[in-house]
Amino acid sequence: MPQRGKSSPADRLFGALANPTRRDILDLLLDGEQTVQDIAERFDMARPSVSEHLRVLRDTDLVREEQRGRHRYYAVHAEPLVGVRDWLSPYERYWRARLTDLGDVLDDLSEGGDA
Amino acid sequence: MTRTEIELDQFYPHPPALVWRALTAPELLARWLMPPDGFEPRVGARFTMTAKPIEAVGFSGTVACEVLELVEPELISFSWDDAAAPEPSGWVVSFALRPEGRGTRLLFTHRGFDPDSPAAQLSRTIMGNGWRRILAALGEAAADAA
Repeated sequence: MPQRGKSSPADRLFGALANPTRRDILDLLLDGEQTVQDIAERFDMARPSVSEHLRVLRDTDLVREEQRGRHRYYAVHAEPLVGVRDWLSPYERYWRARLTDLGDVLDDLSEGGDA
Repeated sequence: MTRTEIELDQFYPHPPALVWRALTAPELLARWLMPPDGFEPRVGARFTMTAKPIEAVGFSGTVACEVLELVEPELISFSWDDAAAPEPSGWVVSFALRPEGRGTRLLFTHRGFDPDSPAAQLSRTIMGNGWRRILAALGEAAADAA
């Protein structure tokens, strides 16, 4: 088996997403940015608990915060998931690349008449 | 959600006859897929292909295939097994050609992903889905890995 170093960004990402509450928070944020107070009310959770979950999500860059006036707003950030999705879809990537290569071969065949 | 196949479609501005040739001539297969050994466009033909091993999917580098369907110039499908695997994967890849305007639409499927295999299903579940599904599947993966 390939050896992967501990605590890579992917490991932290998986760690962050292993918690169902954090996935619920991300789901909630998909509908739009929220303050800590909003989130705490939705989940019937104490604010410190929400803050702790948000800290983990922020550390993995899945969530970004913005201070506006008296409130901090939290919004979901997609970028880190793209790499993981790519890692999870090697077969599709493989075939897409092959079909692209097939297109190159077809171009050669039609330009050169016969190959 | 469980899905057991990859489906891709791709348009080529080339006539079906040409696409068919690229799919069924061994020297052309070698150029976009892998060099085949023993391939012929005949149902029942068995062949192997050699490529670079792909660690991420646990692929040894040698694929064992058998031509299962052949309808010129519309459809070719073959079984697809890792030659080094202890048991057949049950994978089937197929290429269906549909004339479209002056070109060809290729419908590709790679089916037979084991619905009971989390590893096989992960790669399936994620693809092409929205955020919520990505999050849910990633969470399951993380929980399994923990």
